[in-house]
Amino acid sequence: MQYFKNIIFIFIFLNSFQALSKNNFNIHPIEVSKNIYVFMGDNNDVNPKNGGAISNTAFIIGTKSILVIDAGPSYLYGSKVIEIIKSYSSLPIRYLVVTHHHPDHSFGLSRFIENGTKIIMAQSEINRYVKYGNRLLKQLKNLIGEDWFIDTKIVAFENENIKFPINVNLGGREIIIELYDQGHSEGDLIVKDLLSKTIFVGDLVFNERAPTIPHANINNWNKYISTIMDSNWDYLVPGHGKLIKEKEELLLTKYWINYIDKIAKKAAKNGMSPAEIFNKGIPEPLLKYKLAKETWIRDLPLLINKYEFE
Amino acid sequence: MFKVFLFIMLILYSKFAYSGPFSDFKAGAGLSEELSSSPTERRNKPNSESIVQSRDALDSQNSEMWNDLQNELLGKNAKVFFVADVKIIMQDYIEEAHKVPLIVAIPKRLHNFNKLILLIENNPIQQVISLKPYRSIEAIGMNVRLEDDSPIRVAILDKDGNWNIGSKMVFVASAGGCSTPACDPAIEVCEPGIVGKIAVKEYEREAGAQRIKLKITHPMETGFVVDTDGEIIPEYFIKNIHVDDIDGPIADITTFAALSSDPVLLLDLSEKGQSVRVHVMDSHGLEFFSYKKDISM
Repeated sequence: MQYFKNIIFIFIFLNSFQALSKNNFNIHPIEVSKNIYVFMGDNNDVNPKNGGAISNTAFIIGTKSILVIDAGPSYLYGSKVIEIIKSYSSLPIRYLVVTHHHPDHSFGLSRFIENGTKIIMAQSEINRYVKYGNRLLKQLKNLIGEDWFIDTKIVAFENENIKFPINVNLGGREIIIELYDQGHSEGDLIVKDLLSKTIFVGDLVFNERAPTIPHANINNWNKYISTIMDSNWDYLVPGHGKLIKEKEELLLTKYWINYIDKIAKKAAKNGMSPAEIFNKGIPEPLLKYKLAKETWIRDLPLLINKYEFE
Repeated sequence: MFKVFLFIMLILYSKFAYSGPFSDFKAGAGLSEELSSSPTERRNKPNSESIVQSRDALDSQNSEMWNDLQNELLGKNAKVFFVADVKIIMQDYIEEAHKVPLIVAIPKRLHNFNKLILLIENNPIQQVISLKPYRSIEAIGMNVRLEDDSPIRVAILDKDGNWNIGSKMVFVASAGGCSTPACDPAIEVCEPGIVGKIAVKEYEREAGAQRIKLKITHPMETGFVVDTDGEIIPEYFIKNIHVDDIDGPIADITTFAALSSDPVLLLDLSEKGQSVRVHVMDSHGLEFFSYKKDISM
C-alpha cells in the first residue's frame, strides 16, 4: 500500500509541476565570453511550446551597468530575462537595444520600460512597432494562446532623436551601436562589444535556419553581410541560431536570400504563379536549411508579388 | 486497491488530456471525430491516418456539404462526373491561409467549356468564383482564403451539359483565413491600400498562346473579421470582373470574398488577346477600369 501511495504522490507532484510550468519560459543564459551571455531562442517557428521565444536575447555586464540586446516576444519573457539577469548582477539594466521591430525581438520591451531601462531602436522600426504592434499581437494570441501574452502591451515611447552610430560605456567596456538601414528590415541595429570582439547582428544573419525576407531589400542586405564579414570580430551572435565563429557561416544567409530573390524575379518575369513553383518542390540546395519549406512557401509569393506588377 | 488504480488512471488521463492552448479549438466540419479530437497534433504532423481521412473527405459521398452545394449551384438534376483530368495545382499543406495560390489546369477536351465554378467546402464563403468564358481557356489561377482543412472542388460545365468535377484536399496549419485579419505576424500587410487599382500583364506562351495576369487592389472583406476594437468589419468585396479585348469579351467572372485581398487572377488563353482590358464592380457598386472609360458609352 505504501508503494501505491508513493506512486500517487509522484503523479500529483508531476502534474502540479506541469501546471506551474505551462506558460513559463524555460530559458538559461549561455556564457559567450566573460560577462556576455546569450539566451538562445528556439530555432523554430512560433508555436504553443516555445511561447514565441524563437530569437536570441543577450546581455553584456560592465562594471557600472548592463546592456540587453532584444526584448523577446512578450512581457512574461522580458520579466524572466530581467529576473535572471538580476541573479547574475545587481547592477542596473541601463540599456535595451531592440535590433528591429519583429515581434519575437520587440514585444517584451514594455517590461524594460517599466524597469527604467532606456530603449535604443531605429526610428523607422519604432514607427512600425507602434503602427502594426496591436494587430500583430492579436495574431500571435490567436496563434499560440492569450496566456503567453499576459500584460504584453504595445507602448509608444520617446526616442531622443538618436544619431547612429552611438557609443555607450557600461563601465570598463565600450559598446558601439550601428544602424544598417533598408537591409533585412528598415532599420537593423548591430551591437559591437570592443573588449571581447563580440558582435550582435540581429536578423541580418540567420544561423542554420532559413532567413525571412518580408521587409528586406536584398541588395543592401547582401552588402551588409559582406561588410559584417569584413569587420573585426571573434564571436558573432545571430538573431536566430547558434553562435558563429567562422566568417564563412555568413554565406549561408547570403546564399538563401539571393537564391529566393533570383527565383522570384524569374517567376515574375515569366508570369508564373507561386502554385506552379511550389508544385516542383523545394530546390535541392535549400533543403539543408531548417524551416526551409515553411519559409520558402511563405516568402516566395511575397517576393513574386513585389516584382510581378512592378 | 481498485480505487487506487482508478485514481491513478484518472491522473494519467488528466495528464494526457491536456493538449495545450488549442484544446478548446474546434476543427472544421466534415471531418471525423478522431481527426478533429486532436487538431494540434494533426496540424503539426499530417500522418498516414490523416491522409486516409483526406481521401475519405474528398469522396463526395462522405461530404456533408457536397449534396447541398451541388443542388444549389449546379442545379438539382445536374449531370455530375468526378473526373481525374481536371487538376487543381496547390499545396497540400497550407501555412498562410489568407493568400493561397492555386491553379486549375483544364484538360484539352474541356478547353471550350461553358462555365467554371470554384468551391471550398469548409469555408464560410464556399463559392470563390463563377466564370463564364467567351474564348478557349486552358488554365485559371487565383489566390484564395481558407478557413480550415477542406476539399477544394472545381466544377466545369462542358458543351454537352455535363459537370466535370476536379477535387483536391488541403490541410491548413493555422485556421481562420476568412475570420482573422489578413495580417500575418511575419508579413504585416494589413494596411488597406488604394481600392480599385488594376494592373494587367500579358505573357506570351508557346504557339501563340497567352497568359493574362491581373491584380486588383481591394480589401475583399469577408464580414467575419473583427477589428482591434472588437467591431465587425462589414463585408466589402469585388462582385464582378469582366475581361475583354478589341475582339469582344474574353471572360465574365462573378467573384466572392473567398478570394484573397488584392486578388490576383490568372487566365491562360489558347489564343492571344489584343490589348486586354478589365472592368471591375464591387459590392458597394463602385466601378473600376483598367483603361480610360469612354464617356460617350
